[in-house]
Formats: sequence, structure tokens, C-alpha cells
Amino acid sequence: MGRHVAIVGVGQTHHSRRRTDVSQAGLVREATDRALADAKLTMEDIDSVVVASGPVLFAAVNQPEKWVVDAIGARLKPVVRITSGGGSGLAGALQGYYQIAGGQAERVLVVAYDKLSEGALQYSISTLYDPFWGREFAVGIMGFSAAYWRARMDVLGHTEEAAAMVAVKNRQNALSNPYAHVKQAVTVEEVLNSKPLAWPIKLLDVPPISDGAAAVVLSSERMAAKSTDRPAWIRGMGYFCEADNAAARSLLVSEPLALAARRIYRSAGITNPRRQFDVVEVQEPYTCFELSYYETLGLCQPGEAAELIRSGATAADGDIPVNPSGGCAGANPIGAAGLIRLIEGAAQVMGKPAGLRIPNAKTALVQSGGGWANLRGIAVLSA
Amino acid sequence: MLPRPDSFPVDLPPRHSVLSMPYTLTPGPATGTTLAALKQRRLLGSRFKTSGKVVVPAQDFCPDTGDSQFDFVEAPHTGVLNAFTETAEGLLGLVRIDGSDVDMAHRLVDTSYADLKVGQRVSAVWSDAPDAGYLSLSGFRPDASAPLGKVEPYAGGVEAVKVVPYHLDLHYNHAYGPFFGRLFDEMRTSGRILGVRMPDGDGALLPPREIDDISHRPSGTWVEIKQTGTVLAMSIIYLEFVGQKQPPPYIYAEILLDGARTKLIHNVSGLDMSRAKELVKPGTRVRAVWRVERTGSLDDISHFELLDGEEQH
Amino acid sequence: MSFPGVVVLASAQTELRPAWHSAQHVDLISAVSTAVFQGTGLTLEDVDFVIDSGSDVLDGRSISNCGFLGAMGAHHKEESRVEEDGLWAAAYGAAKIAAGGASAGLIIAYSKPSESDPNLFYKSQVEPFYQRPVGFDHRAAMGMQAQRYLADHGTSVGALAELVVRRWQDAASRGRVAIDSVPDVAGVLASPNVAAPLRQLMMSRLVDGAVAVLLVSDEVALRCGRSAPRITGVGTSMDTHAFAARRAGRLEAAEVAARAAYRQAGWAHPAPSLAEVSGSSAVGELMVLEAAGLAAPGRGLDLLEHGSPVAVNRSGGALPADPIMATGLVRLAEAARQLSNPGRYGLAAPRSALVHGTGGVGMQSHCFMTLEV
Repeated sequence: MGRHVAIVGVGQTHHSRRRTDVSQAGLVREATDRALADAKLTMEDIDSVVVASGPVLFAAVNQPEKWVVDAIGARLKPVVRITSGGGSGLAGALQGYYQIAGGQAERVLVVAYDKLSEGALQYSISTLYDPFWGREFAVGIMGFSAAYWRARMDVLGHTEEAAAMVAVKNRQNALSNPYAHVKQAVTVEEVLNSKPLAWPIKLLDVPPISDGAAAVVLSSERMAAKSTDRPAWIRGMGYFCEADNAAARSLLVSEPLALAARRIYRSAGITNPRRQFDVVEVQEPYTCFELSYYETLGLCQPGEAAELIRSGATAADGDIPVNPSGGCAGANPIGAAGLIRLIEGAAQVMGKPAGLRIPNAKTALVQSGGGWANLRGIAVLSA
Repeated sequence: MLPRPDSFPVDLPPRHSVLSMPYTLTPGPATGTTLAALKQRRLLGSRFKTSGKVVVPAQDFCPDTGDSQFDFVEAPHTGVLNAFTETAEGLLGLVRIDGSDVDMAHRLVDTSYADLKVGQRVSAVWSDAPDAGYLSLSGFRPDASAPLGKVEPYAGGVEAVKVVPYHLDLHYNHAYGPFFGRLFDEMRTSGRILGVRMPDGDGALLPPREIDDISHRPSGTWVEIKQTGTVLAMSIIYLEFVGQKQPPPYIYAEILLDGARTKLIHNVSGLDMSRAKELVKPGTRVRAVWRVERTGSLDDISHFELLDGEEQH
Repeated sequence: MSFPGVVVLASAQTELRPAWHSAQHVDLISAVSTAVFQGTGLTLEDVDFVIDSGSDVLDGRSISNCGFLGAMGAHHKEESRVEEDGLWAAAYGAAKIAAGGASAGLIIAYSKPSESDPNLFYKSQVEPFYQRPVGFDHRAAMGMQAQRYLADHGTSVGALAELVVRRWQDAASRGRVAIDSVPDVAGVLASPNVAAPLRQLMMSRLVDGAVAVLLVSDEVALRCGRSAPRITGVGTSMDTHAFAARRAGRLEAAEVAARAAYRQAGWAHPAPSLAEVSGSSAVGELMVLEAAGLAAPGRGLDLLEHGSPVAVNRSGGALPADPIMATGLVRLAEAARQLSNPGRYGLAAPRSALVHGTGGVGMQSHCFMTLEV
């Protein structure tokens, strides 16, 4: 790889169900201001901007980066938008990473957001489906996510109880996160008895629908020291896909995620993820996904996810804490969710998480993705 | 065996599709206050603190610098025409309100294209309609005698609009192309489901397409696919949402038809929904049930029903 | 700042047609994603990543790349969607190769505006509170831009019509554009008024089509034994959203983007052998050429004259064929072809090319790329 790239500043909004005090553009501004302040920079120091957000039908503004540009004072800078559904934030950061690694820029601002209170969420997500083939039967991404979980339940033992434990853990962790939108502890029983939405997915398996934005400042090695003496270095980052209706697409394991992990672990020197990672942040649009990621990311063997969560290993005080921030269960502005995971992972290795702190966290794993669970990426960060 | 589609093109008119999306948009403080003030026939601007620049109508952020610190000002209702055009929407111009540092785009009314001149004086025209929103200000008309107005301090007394209802209707005419054309034509006319063979000849792609997603090699000849299949994955939908086509509860299923290598998405029904969890699982065998009236779509299959008596996978 | 070697190895393009009624997006996309390898000695297996450009709003589907991944050849590869003109996707791909993160990437851009109302594509780009209610949109912006340009420089609509005719002639003879008949000047002037003073034919004609460009590292290009142009500079810039607040009579973002590309390429004075630029209107094209420094302000039409130092839009450019989202990538493919096969375009030993793409209402955003052989 070319030049080293670090995260030198992070910022996010206080996420909530509905922000009526700011427009979409104003939301983006808030996160931008915080990330720039954290990096001790102003917009003038930024060479290039990447805007990432979810599908435009979420919020009725096509190519919204062209509106947002005014709100962040980026007039006449390079501004481009990357979109990849729920993975937009991480996919956007990857574009910024390559701008610096490839020598096109010294500092890139990546800002991701969604203001989900403004549109009809499940309807817009259902338009993901082919207008000829399946859209009339689509239930956002919840219908198929629940179905795939149902398939994994029999083969891999990802039970409703195990998923409920994910909800309990993440919602507990979110209590300490000042930016989280949902702060409510729940019990396994409450999750299991919560209203079914797309069984086996129940209300408390589902993250909130949030308005929120997040931003990071990426920097070349040369400029990083101007912002912080403890940046989060990006040791590897990749974003892979699989064709949605490919023959023999596995419902049991996310193959693009497995591919991303294999490639990025190799380049980052990760051979034993459970031991080498101090903290993990995954984007779990539903609790069942977190169980699946444990296995795909190599935190445990296939079929052992339920035992991993039950053992407490992924709790904040476990040996491999997953989502000490609370994950999506705390806040879920979809297009920003991946960047929030990156921020939370980076903040741990920078030693300044806003919520729960994992002591001596040196190496973090971040996962994000979108689409029909067919766009998947990871990043490996280290102090 | 059936011929490749290119030798028998099926010329269907495109499929019409509408995305009709309701929104509740948040204008933010400057725009929200401006929208409310327009109802009182007042035009507000922002005076940005660092640059002193006045922007009319008011914006939260200076378009030049991104400055977010501003005071509202009351703008005059007169200005100068700086550019104009005529489109299907009517006459539109860039008007520089007296005292503003940037132009604003708005309608030009009570005039014609031939009568417009850059540099001419214009004045505001107001609507009498009570719910005109931003169009409470109908536009500007040429007004040679319009006095030179001045930006004044904001007098207050306006409660900002917090939410603006909005609707986006997007219409599409999607081409069927050779593959969906043939597939749906056969479904409509003969109630058959056709795929194309995988490049390796083993099984079929459904929906049919020219290139196999994985090998990226050309697919093979058309082949009829059985109307029985296996549920790969399923969920029971209780959620209600905008745009939903049927009332819950119902079963969302991804089904692999016998002979196909790729799944289709449909519903399994015709069963006791209180026993849905035990009756429908990954591996459950199902069969297509067709509608009487067929239009050429996946929805020509009304649903999939349980295949009784066959051994469960 | 240097730009390590990235080579435009090959390209493939469907015919650009007002409507591809007989094909779906996937058909157009797979046509180019398979054809692009012809003659290169490479296959899809050699490709590390796919970067694509397309629009959810035009396609009528959310995260529309998701449905086209197989057709694009992206299965189990790295993939990203740039929701902007395809030249930005190429810029992303070039940066990725320059970073050493990959040695070959497929850049794909496509659109089928015939399937939707493209006016809504642009109307939905303007902010919904002040601009949409009054009917301000792309056409209005292009009309006002033209009205100012003509007034500032004394250019006649007749001269614009001549530019349009030349572009359509070039597209008919050299480009890969479906053209039934080339309009004459009177025909251009008699076409319907779309955004006064612009007539229908003075606006870019929206067409369906797909294009794929294969970018590779210097080493891969050497191995393939093909002499192909290298990307030596990239510059992009976005102006303010509010068209009314932009500098009157100028495309400031185009100026900034061009300067950035020249700086990277080490071009003290821009003197490319050829240029392929995207203009959303006849005036838009002239303003781009002037912003890029190829002509003085108001003198863009001089580049049409015989003996002009720069061969501009020998493909016809965007006026006869504007496949929104793919237009800039078509320009890149055309420029690379012209550098590789100059004879077919009436060019003598060209050394360099300037490529341009644009996006947004009133051409808010610009990307320039320099190519050299």
C-alpha cells in the first residue's frame, strides 16, 4: 500500500428519533464541526470531502451532497458522494482513505448521515428489490434478514435467546454512550416477549430509526501530528460484495464479509482475531446479524456464536468486547451507522471513547455493510 | 428445449412503476422562519456575522463561506433582475433583492419573456392563497418605479415552521428486455416458468439473464422450471408499513424452484397462520398457485402452497 | 503531488441511443463488462475491483448497484458506488491503483433516462424549500447561464446552432451514437424553446447507454504489451448549491478543477492535443472550454475553427449524446481511443488529452482528467 492513513478526528451528533431543529444539511454540519474541532482543524485545512448517506429516497433529495456542500462550507473543494446503503459510511471512509493513500490529498473529511424521520423507511428500502422480480413481496430488509436468521437458527444454533442476549448487551452498553438515541436496559425475557415484526425478528431485536450524522478526519502520516499525538492508524480496510441472486449464495455465512476478513487480516497481520483484537464494533441492523458476524469474523467457530454471547466474552468486560458503544441498538441513522462504528473503534484505540472505555485497547476491528446483506466491509485500526 | 431470446424477441410495452413517497421534511431554523414570515408577507434574510454578507431568503449557512452565525434581517420587497429564462415552468429569474449580496431564483409574473431586461427593477407579488407556503411570495414583476429598498433589523414575531409535508412521485417505464420479456410472456400466456441454463449446464438461472453472476459467462438455452420448490428461508411478517401490498400477518419466503439454481421471493399462504412457525421452515416443500387473471408478472403466481404428502427435506 | 502511473488500458461502450427499449440495465452493463477485455489479454479474474456510477433516481431502485453487481462482474470483488458522473468513479479507481491497493479495476457507468422523467432527476436535486416550489431546475439554470453568456459576449444563438450542428455531425460520423438525421442550423433554431434562449437541440440530448473502462497499473499495462494513455492529473471541484449565489457568467468550480488537474500533470499552460468535455448545453460546453483555459472568456467558439490547436469533442461530445451519470466516462473512453487511434479521428500524433465530466443543476460540479501517451 502507498502512504499510511490515520483517523485524527471524530465527531457525531446526539442521535434521536426526530430532529426538527435542523435540516438534513444542518445535521451534517453538526458532525462536521465536531470532527474538525476534534482534529484541531478548520474546513480550510481539508483537501477533499466525501459525503456518504443512504439511498436518496430516504429523504427526497437526489445527490444530496450538492446541497450539503453549502452547510459545511466546502464550496469549490472536491466533494463526492459514496452510497452503499447501510455500509455507506464505511464505503465513504474507504474512498477517503484511497485519496490519501494514493497521494491525491493530505486530509479528507468523510461525513455520513441519514435523517430517517423524514421518509417512509420500509417502503423506500423495499425499492431495493428489482421492480420485476420480488419488489411486490419485499419487506424492507427486515423480511429477508429475518428469513436468513431463520435459516441459520436450525443449522448454526442462532437461537432467539442468543439474539436476545445481544440486545441485552448492546442496550446495556448504550446506557453509557452519550450519543445513543435509545437508552433502555432490557432483559432476555423482555426481548423474547416483545412484539414480533418479522418473526423471528421482534421489536427489541430491532435498532431504533434515527436522525444522525457522523464525521471523521482522515490524514496522511505527514500531517497527522498536527491534530493528535494518538491517531488511529488504518492498518487495512476493504469493502466487498456478492451478486444478490447468485446461484448458491449462502444464507449461513456472509461470503463477502468472510472475503473482506481474509484479505484485510492478511495485510494487517491478524492471524488470531479473538486474541489480537482488543475491541470490535459491528453494525448489527438486527441482533441476529451480530451472532453471524462473530463466526464470519473469526471471533469463534461456525455454530459457536450462541455460546460466545452466553459466555459473556463479548460483553464490555469480556475478553473480546463487541459494541461497547451499544452498536446500532443505541442509534441507527442508517447511512451513518458504518462511520459511527469506525468512530467508536477509532475512539477506543485513541483512548477517548465517549462511552464505555476498553482499557489498553490497541487494536480494533470494525465491520459495516449494506444492501441485501451483500455489501460488506471491515477496517482494522491500531494505536 | 427452447430457443435463445434474441432469435424470438418479445416486444412488450415497458412496465409502468410508480414510487410514491410521502415525506415530512425539516427546513431548519432559517428556512423555517422564512417560510412562516412569508405568510405575513415579510421577506427575511440572514446577515452572516463574520462576513457581514446578507443572503435573501434567509439561509442557515452562508453559501460562500459556510458561516453559521447570523442574524435575521427584514428584506425589502424590491430588487433588480439579473438573469432570466423561460421553461415549461414559466418565466424564472435571478433577482437581487435590494441590500442582499446574492441573487435569489424565483418566478417572474405579469410579464413576458420579450419584455424582460437584465438590470430592470422588480417588485414582489404576493399570493392571497392561505396555504401557499413558499409561494406566498408568488414572484416578482417588472416595476420601473420600484423604490430602492433597504434591509432592516428583524422585527421578530415569527414562529418557525418545523416540518414541511412533501411528496415525491417518480414514474418509470421499465424495459422488459429479452429475458424478462420472454419469462413473463410465457407466465402470462401459458403459466410456465422459464429459466436459462447455467453456463455449466447444471441447473437454471431464474430469473433468466444473459450472463451468470458468478462465472460471468454466457448462460445457455431456455429451460422450463418446475413449479414446485423448497423454502430456503422464511419469516412471518407482522409489521405494517407504507406501500405494503397485503395486510399482515403473512409469510415472506425465499424459494428455490426445482431445477433452478437461484431463488425467487414470494409468499407462502393457504395455511393456518397460528401454526405458521411449525408448518413453514427452511426445507418445506411448496407449489405455485396461479391466479386466474394473469398479467405477466411474478404476481401472476398468487402464492405458494404447502406440498402435502411429499417427504420434507 | 505526484500521480503514479495509472493506464487507461481499454474501454467498451454500447451505442448511445435515445431509448434502449429492447434491453434492461443489466443487458447494457453486461455487454460492456464482457467486451472491455477484448484484445487486452486480461480477463475478469485479473480485475481487483469495480467502481460504478449510476443513479437510484434514474434507475427507479434504491442502492441500484446492488441489483447489477453480477452484470458488472463485481461478484466477490471490492465494489463501490459513486453516485456522480462516471469520471469521478474513474478518479476513485485511479487513486486506488496509485495507492498500490490494486493493479486493475473496472470502471462502469450507465444510465437509462428513457425509463423515467429525467427532469425529475434534476428537480429532485435542488433543495426542496426555496428552489423546488418555484420550478427552478436544471433547465432554468442552463437557460439563465446562456442568457447571461450571450449578453456578456455578444454571441448569437445562430452561432450556438452552428456549434450544435458540428457536434451532431461529428457524432454521426465518428461517435457511437444513434442519430437518424443531423439537424441543420435552421432546424436547431426551429426546435422547441426549452429554456430561453436555449432551444431543445442546444441542450444535451439524453440517451441510454453503458460504458466500461479498464484501468490498470503501469506494470500490468507493460505485461499486456499495449501502448495506452496514462492518467497524469485529476482535479475535481464543487460549487455552491444555490445557483443564484454562484459567480455570474463563470464556472468557477470548473476553473478550480482544471487548475488542480494541470498542477498534478505539471502542465504550466494547458495545451492538450485534444479535449473531450461534457456540456449540458451549447453554452455550457463553451463555458467549460473557457474555464479550462483552452479559450479566452467568450472565445470558446474559436476552437471550432480550422487550425484550432485543440481538437475538441471529435466524438461529438455531450450535446448529441448525454447518458447522464455515464457522460464523463464516455469522454474518457473517447479520449483514450483518439489517442490510441488518431488516424480514425483525423488527428496527427496527439500527445495529450483533457477529459471532463460534470454533475448537478447548472453544472455545479466538475472533474478534469489529463491523459498523456
